[in-house]
Amino acid sequence: MKIHGSHRLPVGRERAYALLQDPEILAACMPGCEALVKVDEDLYEMKMKMALAAISGQFAGKVRIGDRNPVESFRLIVEGTGKIGFMKGEGLLRLREEGAETEVAYEGDVHVGGTIASVGQRLLDTTSKMLIKRFFGRLGERAQ
Amino acid sequence: MIAQNFEYETPSTLEEALELLADGAKALAGGMSLIPLMKLRLAVPERVVDLRRVPGLNSIRVAEGQLHIGAMVTHYELESTPLVRRSSPLLAAAAASIGDVQVRNLGTLGGSIAHADPAADYPAALQALEAVIRIAGKGGERAVSAAEFFVDTFTTALEPGELVVEVSVPVEAAGTGVRYEKCEQLASGFALVGVAARVAKKGGKVSMARVGVTGLAGSSYRAKNVEALLEGTTGSAQDVTRAAAAVAEGKEANSDIHASADYRAHLARVYTARALRAALGTAG
Repeated sequence: MKIHGSHRLPVGRERAYALLQDPEILAACMPGCEALVKVDEDLYEMKMKMALAAISGQFAGKVRIGDRNPVESFRLIVEGTGKIGFMKGEGLLRLREEGAETEVAYEGDVHVGGTIASVGQRLLDTTSKMLIKRFFGRLGERAQ
Repeated sequence: MIAQNFEYETPSTLEEALELLADGAKALAGGMSLIPLMKLRLAVPERVVDLRRVPGLNSIRVAEGQLHIGAMVTHYELESTPLVRRSSPLLAAAAASIGDVQVRNLGTLGGSIAHADPAADYPAALQALEAVIRIAGKGGERAVSAAEFFVDTFTTALEPGELVVEVSVPVEAAGTGVRYEKCEQLASGFALVGVAARVAKKGGKVSMARVGVTGLAGSSYRAKNVEALLEGTTGSAQDVTRAAAAVAEGKEANSDIHASADYRAHLARVYTARALRAALGTAG
């Protein structure tokens, strides 16, 4: 599944870039994130507990940051596995200055498998967009 | 598959039910979404509170120009009860278009809206009807509008431990034309796009237009731009087409294996025009 979109952060580009690389901030803003631990340069281990509608599930996975081009762009590679399914995704995030604000555009490819994908196909796109929106919403609040 | 073990409670008062919900239990209404999810083990609640014995959640009544419907009223009751068909034909039509007869026999109004599937039928009608949703929690009761209630995909204004107890919609005034039109995904019956329209005319002009949309975006919404474009016109075929063209403006359309975002936006325009034309046809 291809995903793309953009969100605005109410801070300048340098600050936005720094926020997006800060594991503590990311952990606090990612919906359901319970832990994000640095295990190597640019590599983090993540634990998530998703609760959406009646569905709930725990995921364990890795987050890797690559292709760093400070304050302009970076690549995010995420994978997670849980009882109800697995996901693997890769996306490029681009930061663009918009006056005093920053527009973060993302473009990527996500694969979801397991039970969650076989019964939830119809809802994957709208759900992932909702979660990304929630993430940027919280990040925007933290940024100020 | 078989659901994971869970505790099952059947409280006989609302207070008892709210106490259990405040304690983290999961509410069970008709079970048309929750039970399949539990059998797939996508939902694994430790404790389930069946609301069927809670009194007062099954009533359908009219008072002061409003039709009040208890949260546990089933889709079938809504589509078939003469009082509902008379007082709110739009809500009855939305109920009649849900899934299949087995689902409608068991599924409930409160359960469906609390689940907040982005392609469910009720939200379109409730947005167009400017419905009020009464919510109870351990701390007391509150009421929110449909526009406030449906926040996002599977996300409502309900706080943990809160329960939908009643939905109120206006008793439709004589001469108001209504219509629910949906393009359904055949396997699930869910709406690729569903549009609910209400219109009234006065002196040859459209005096009131309400349009609710489901399935297009992450959440249902009221298409106020369409309403504004139509109100004040004579409601000609051209007026309808021009107003309907604005229905997806500013919305990020969903995309899945059944319909791309562009196709969904196109469907929304076509079904909005159809719903408005049909509603105008019966308004007078």
